[in-house]
Amino acid sequence: MRRSTWKKRKSIIMGMICLLLFVQEASYVSADGKTDAYHYSFWGDAVPAPAAYEATTIITGKKLNTIPMKEPSDMHVTANQHVFVLDSGNGRIIEMDRNLKLVRTIDSFKQEGKEDHFKNPQGLYVSDQGHLLVADSDNHRVVHLDEKGTLVKIVAEPKSDLLKADFQFKPMRVVVDKGERIYVMAEGVFDGFMEFSADGTFSSFIGANRVQVDPVEYLWKRFATREQRSQMVMFTPTEFTNLDMDEEGFIYATSGDRGKDPVKKLNAQGTDILRREGYQTPQGDMVYTQEAGPSRLIDVDVGDSDMYSVLDSSKGRIFTYNGDGYLLHIFGGIGNRLGQFNTPVALERAGDRMLVLDKALGEITVFQTTEYGRTLHEAVRSYYNGDEEQSSVLFAKVAEMNANLEYAYAGIGKALLRQKEYGESAKYFKRSMEPKGYSKAFLLYRKELMREHFSWMMSGLFLAVAAFVTVIIVRRQKRRTTNAGIK
Amino acid sequence: MQASSKQLYQYPLHLIFHPFDGYWELKYERNQRNSLLIAFMILVLLVITKILHAQYSGFLINLSNPKYLNSLLEMVYVIVPVLFWCVANWSLTTLMDGEGKFSEIFMSTCFALVPLFLIHFPWIWLSLVISAQETAFYYFSNALAVAWTVYLLFVGNMTVHQYTSAKTILTMLLTLVAMAFMAFLCLLFFSLVQQIVSFVVTIYQELVLRG
Repeated sequence: MRRSTWKKRKSIIMGMICLLLFVQEASYVSADGKTDAYHYSFWGDAVPAPAAYEATTIITGKKLNTIPMKEPSDMHVTANQHVFVLDSGNGRIIEMDRNLKLVRTIDSFKQEGKEDHFKNPQGLYVSDQGHLLVADSDNHRVVHLDEKGTLVKIVAEPKSDLLKADFQFKPMRVVVDKGERIYVMAEGVFDGFMEFSADGTFSSFIGANRVQVDPVEYLWKRFATREQRSQMVMFTPTEFTNLDMDEEGFIYATSGDRGKDPVKKLNAQGTDILRREGYQTPQGDMVYTQEAGPSRLIDVDVGDSDMYSVLDSSKGRIFTYNGDGYLLHIFGGIGNRLGQFNTPVALERAGDRMLVLDKALGEITVFQTTEYGRTLHEAVRSYYNGDEEQSSVLFAKVAEMNANLEYAYAGIGKALLRQKEYGESAKYFKRSMEPKGYSKAFLLYRKELMREHFSWMMSGLFLAVAAFVTVIIVRRQKRRTTNAGIK
Repeated sequence: MQASSKQLYQYPLHLIFHPFDGYWELKYERNQRNSLLIAFMILVLLVITKILHAQYSGFLINLSNPKYLNSLLEMVYVIVPVLFWCVANWSLTTLMDGEGKFSEIFMSTCFALVPLFLIHFPWIWLSLVISAQETAFYYFSNALAVAWTVYLLFVGNMTVHQYTSAKTILTMLLTLVAMAFMAFLCLLFFSLVQQIVSFVVTIYQELVLRG
């Protein structure tokens, strides 16, 4: 009975949250690209928050004075903020400069004197030297061009004992690290990313997702006959949906199903080293309806200072986390206003701007940080760089703009701790739901108090003991006299 | 009169330190009405402790969301398990030649809860002045309280029903199983009632909308 009432309560609460969100969506949205924003509190409730980004413009093929984009599928921004878009339907790459003006389009390259084209390419990566890597999916190869667009090499169908005889190489996404190693996410590969050495030979798989077994399904499978089992779905590990590489060469990867950890940070050995110190693990939406299901993360973009954003294709929202795994902000959505998408497929950060590529509409939505977003990023940045003084000032500003961002209070707490304001610091850590920091500050505060009031506390204790002993002695004496009287 | 009010707190304290004596007294020598009163008071105190704990205990050990604190539910969390235990125990021991009456089972169970209240109550305030390392003491004393309570339950059961120790342990385990059964039946019952109600409501709506 207890459980049922609790369950009911929970569903009612969930419903109310959804309702609240819905109501906000209906009332707060305005046409100027500022969508409603929310955040998840320590308790996992959706709470309102100021918008960190607002949509400013939309880039289409027409605006660039070229033919409209047809089913573009990937995008990349270089360090000097040049934007490369992979226009899959037209088999070309569009390059824009930092002002989002067309620089050039690449739709062919020379191979042994002959003109060669892309066929439904799906993935694009631009290395630090400006080299282009294109996952040329329907041609079953990865094309490596240099900054001028001349062919460097082609990574074709790999040959290896690790691969099945009937394996068909269909690359979907590609990244390259500083050592020129190429990592490819290919369709139908469950063993992780395919790693190719600099000369284009296949070396190994890295970072496979673990198989997740549903215990109930497992039980059924044990009882099933061989024929029945062959009809059932196999236990296969979830496929990755996308990958990105940060400045240090770590691969960030997203997987579509909500497994245990839909976002991963892989080191060179393929082990997951993502920090999950936040209130909730990075996974997109916390609250969702049974019908809509959890977030389906399909792209990840790593920015500076270990901040990264993931794109949820089912709700069209973008979630940004810092290096420790704390949720910073959420924006975007599915819809047909400015700042909302139809089928978002890729996101990239270009300085203060965030670009989101829409596959169905063939357009890029450009978001610009609001003052809130800028301050928050700056605060995270200065904390990352070790400038705690500066970060605490900025976090205080952020907390002023968004009282629901519990994470910001820890920043203030840390600064106060350093300034030896232990009592205040403990208060802020508590507000930030940060037990470790709280404990540290509180211990120092307690010590300080004890030292300050030691004299009268000790004398008080001494007096109390003395009083207690006296009372006992007096009582005993009394009893003795009355007993003597009876005798 | 003064003696009896003193007894109110002296007797439970005596019982938890000398359980064999205490439970013997409870069954054969003491005024039942008085003991029943004490038992109810212990239950009330435990409820109060639970509520205060959820609201006021220190941030480091308090994992409940203050937004969803419901005193009535907290009350249910204490009273329902105790009642379930007593009913299950009584139903079992009547079949297993136990000598205890229901009131005796109830009283012995409530008296066994005294350490829980005694140890938890001061921790509501102590937890406000501890650091993360010292939470170990909190968890240790918590475990101690539970162990003590289980021991008292064991002795209480043994004395009230006049069982051997092996049989007592068996009864206690079976009681847990019976509690699970009761919980299951209750859930079934409530969900059935819910369905019947919704069925009737649907028919009513159908009639109203057609008519």
